[in-house]
Amino acid sequence: MEQTTKLPESVKYDLTFAREIYSLENGSYIKQCMQCGMCAISCATRDIMDYSPRRLFNLIKLGKKDEVLKSNTFWYCTSCCTCKARCPRGIPLVDVMHDLKRYAIKNGYVDYPQAAFCKAFWAEVAGRGKVFEGGVTARFYLIRGLDEVLKAMEMKDIGINMLKRGRLPMFPPKKIKGMGNLKKIIRKAQEIQRKEEAR
Amino acid sequence: MEKKIAVYICTGCGIGDALDIDALSKVASKEFKANICKTDAFLCGKSGIDLIKQDIDGEGVNTVVVAGCSSRVNTDVFNFGPDKIVERVNLREQVIWCHPGEDEDTQMLAEDYLRMSLAKLKNLNLPEPFIGENLSSTVLVVGGGFTGLTAALESARAGYKTVLVEKEAELGGYVGKMYKQVPMKPPFTDLEENSIPALIKAVEDAGVKVYTSAVIAKTAGGPGMFDVTINQNGTDVEERVGSIVLATGAKPYEPEKLGHLGFGQYKNVITQLMFEEMVAAGKMDANKVAFIQCAGSRDQEHLPYCSAACCIESIKQALYVKEKNPEANVYVYYKDIRSNGQYEHFYKKAQQAGVIFIKGDITDISESDGQLTIEADDHTMGTKSVADEFDLVVLANGMVPTAALGETVEEAPAEDEAAAASDEPKVTVAPIIKSNLLNLEYRQGPELPALKYGFPDSHYICFPYETRRTGIYAAGVVRAPMDMLSAAEDATGAALKAIQCIESTLKGEAVHPRSGDMSFPEFNMNRCTQCKRCTEECPFGAINEDEKANPLPNPTRCRRCGTCMGACPERIISFKNYSVPMIGNMVKAIEVPEEADEKPRILIFACENDAIPALDMAGINRLQYNPWVRIIPVRCLGSLNLVWINDAMAKGFDGVLLMGCKHGDDYQCHFMKGSELAEIRLSKISETLNRLGLESERVRATTVNIMDYDKIPAMLDEFAAELEEFGPNPMKDFQ
Ligand code: SF4
Ligand code: SF4
Ligand code: SF4
Ligand code: SF4
Repeated sequence: MEQTTKLPESVKYDLTFAREIYSLENGSYIKQCMQCGMCAISCATRDIMDYSPRRLFNLIKLGKKDEVLKSNTFWYCTSCCTCKARCPRGIPLVDVMHDLKRYAIKNGYVDYPQAAFCKAFWAEVAGRGKVFEGGVTARFYLIRGLDEVLKAMEMKDIGINMLKRGRLPMFPPKKIKGMGNLKKIIRKAQEIQRKEEAR
Repeated sequence: MEKKIAVYICTGCGIGDALDIDALSKVASKEFKANICKTDAFLCGKSGIDLIKQDIDGEGVNTVVVAGCSSRVNTDVFNFGPDKIVERVNLREQVIWCHPGEDEDTQMLAEDYLRMSLAKLKNLNLPEPFIGENLSSTVLVVGGGFTGLTAALESARAGYKTVLVEKEAELGGYVGKMYKQVPMKPPFTDLEENSIPALIKAVEDAGVKVYTSAVIAKTAGGPGMFDVTINQNGTDVEERVGSIVLATGAKPYEPEKLGHLGFGQYKNVITQLMFEEMVAAGKMDANKVAFIQCAGSRDQEHLPYCSAACCIESIKQALYVKEKNPEANVYVYYKDIRSNGQYEHFYKKAQQAGVIFIKGDITDISESDGQLTIEADDHTMGTKSVADEFDLVVLANGMVPTAALGETVEEAPAEDEAAAASDEPKVTVAPIIKSNLLNLEYRQGPELPALKYGFPDSHYICFPYETRRTGIYAAGVVRAPMDMLSAAEDATGAALKAIQCIESTLKGEAVHPRSGDMSFPEFNMNRCTQCKRCTEECPFGAINEDEKANPLPNPTRCRRCGTCMGACPERIISFKNYSVPMIGNMVKAIEVPEEADEKPRILIFACENDAIPALDMAGINRLQYNPWVRIIPVRCLGSLNLVWINDAMAKGFDGVLLMGCKHGDDYQCHFMKGSELAEIRLSKISETLNRLGLESERVRATTVNIMDYDKIPAMLDEFAAELEEFGPNPMKDFQ
């Protein structure tokens, strides 16, 4: 059974939002969703999602901006790719989900902790060329604020255990070789993206 | 023809190991005094065939009995020309492959099958084909729309003289009025130019004789010799044609009946056809358009069926709007999008173009200032949906076949008064609707028998185009709702069938399903009591009636099913190679052991179309079944004459089982009505059996399709077990 919670009352169609989403890198694929539900039954985390990918796409088509951007669906996508592999219409759902995450962050829909994680993870990779768990955690809590740090303290035992078993390095690793080149690549990519968005 | 009979027993394929061949040979040579009886270890090989040929040339053998594999295999190998009778005894598939070898019962079975074949020969003769006089090779196509034009073109290009009759003054039909048409070729995503003008030109160039503003006033005769009266603008013209393609198409469902969707109330609610004409005339300037699918279709109050083309047509029309203005808002409200086959690509294309598809039921349509608001239950979201400011709402109003338009005439019931008064089961009579398309001069009514919803009846799985009037092939949306791609295929298929019919009729052969069969029913008229059974029961309307109510057979209309032969209470109808006495002899030739032997016997009449192949398949899969059965293949269960059952019960058989195809609305009977008629006849015999002190359950009918082969052993075992409960047939020792 799909969730029936959080459904909008009565649908009035406003296509401005839909058109905006369609203009994202993989956004236009959403148009060709035929609502078959294959993604919904394939998704590992669908049970905790507000809407299945199928429903999310339908909401986009109907122009329900708030419902879409406030939903947890794309934040709970684990990029397992099962839906992408199975969608009979060939929609790259995972990539669409990434686009939606970026779009949400850009538009200030950052209430979900995953949004903070996303930013922290990115900052780590961009700054170091690889991921340091300690760094991601620190950045995450910086973004989320003091309350979350207190909550995190409850998980300290897990952290200590992981440290003991060498699952969590104490000290940051060395930056990758050629960090300068990576930065260049990233800059170039961002430039292209800006140009595309300006179009 | 004086028969010189030679029996060849093949000992290959394990037959020689499983059976006592000497004993088998004795049945042929001693019991039946066959002129020649030989065995060979590889009869279908060169040496075996040479052996047979030598005897044909040297000894004058003209009747060859091959005891070996099923008659369904090696037909070409054991073919010694049209002047030789070949009879096959199925020792392989139906004996040694489904019964244990070196076994008394298996041996008895094999010997009985040989006896049956040899007894059969007594009343079997070579068929002489019926060649009609003044046969025509012209194909008549009725209807000049997309399907009709395509069929006419195909037939003309195949080299057949073709006549096309169109009711309207112009060719083209419904498709002719379209702005553009749905894709007909890969990648199935692009709108195509209307193909009708090019099609009309091609038809004219191919030399098709076209009558416009013309209707068929009368169709008499039969395949190869249809005499058709064409009324063109009030003048009658006669044409003799060999076969007919009926491609009269469909009419849009009356939109006046769709008031609940706003038609007639709001001027901006229009039909698919009106939209088509509006776009073609360049008058479409709406920028927010809704399409409402299944308007009238799939609705018990209106058309219960899916009209099959409207989804794709709406997708196409939605693309018209997007083509004109890519920013336009287009909504399609649907139950299910049925974009069959390749048209799935077309659906995707429309989505990519930004058409919004909403799965939901319309709850209200209202208007203010010429703009329409649609309320619906959105089934994907589980909410109400409201959309407004529509400039135009287009109803996909479905289609009604032209064959369904008219008054229904029921066929006269096949029963005499006494039977009609009782509550015995009756044949379900196919209605005939006076749709004024063909105006057949058939005793059975002026048009094609209809199945559901007025579509002409045909064997949907195996012979979709072949209606119940031989030589008349329905194609396109008059036959079944369909999209253009399917209609093109239908047109081509029906044209080929029409040609096949002409060619077969020229040779005096049957068309499907007994293609190539040259036998036809002959009537011994002196003993006819004019009971009309044959004329009523022939599923194909092959038998007319003269003024004195004598049956008048039309051999070219006949499909050789033998239903008339089974129906005739006087038993005066027979084929050269299939007759009541012939099967009767087979029944009589079977040895029924005495009661004390405790070897029951079950007689099976199995339909050659599905049951016999299924029985062979059971053998091929080495499924073992009851050894008490003796199987007699029949052309169709419809040819079952009750006297055979009398004979069998009198002879001491413990039970009789009829194996035929499924009947009813979704029948699979290759002769449409045969298996149903057989069961009705059976219900009539039960009283007689009871009177004789025999349980009527000893005789029963069952349906088998070819894929049921794996169920056959259980079917036969169960029947045998039930018969055992009744105890042996008390007539056993009185024969
Ligand atoms: S599997 Fe693909 S087409 Fe089906 S509902 Fe999901 S996204 Fe849509
Ligand atoms: S990729 Fe994301 S949306 Fe798709 S199945 Fe996996 S978790 Fe669900
Ligand atoms: S083709 Fe589509 S619109 Fe037409 S009846 Fe079928 S489902 Fe309904
Ligand atoms: S019942 Fe069958 S065999 Fe007899 S006339 Fe009709 S089609 Fe021919």
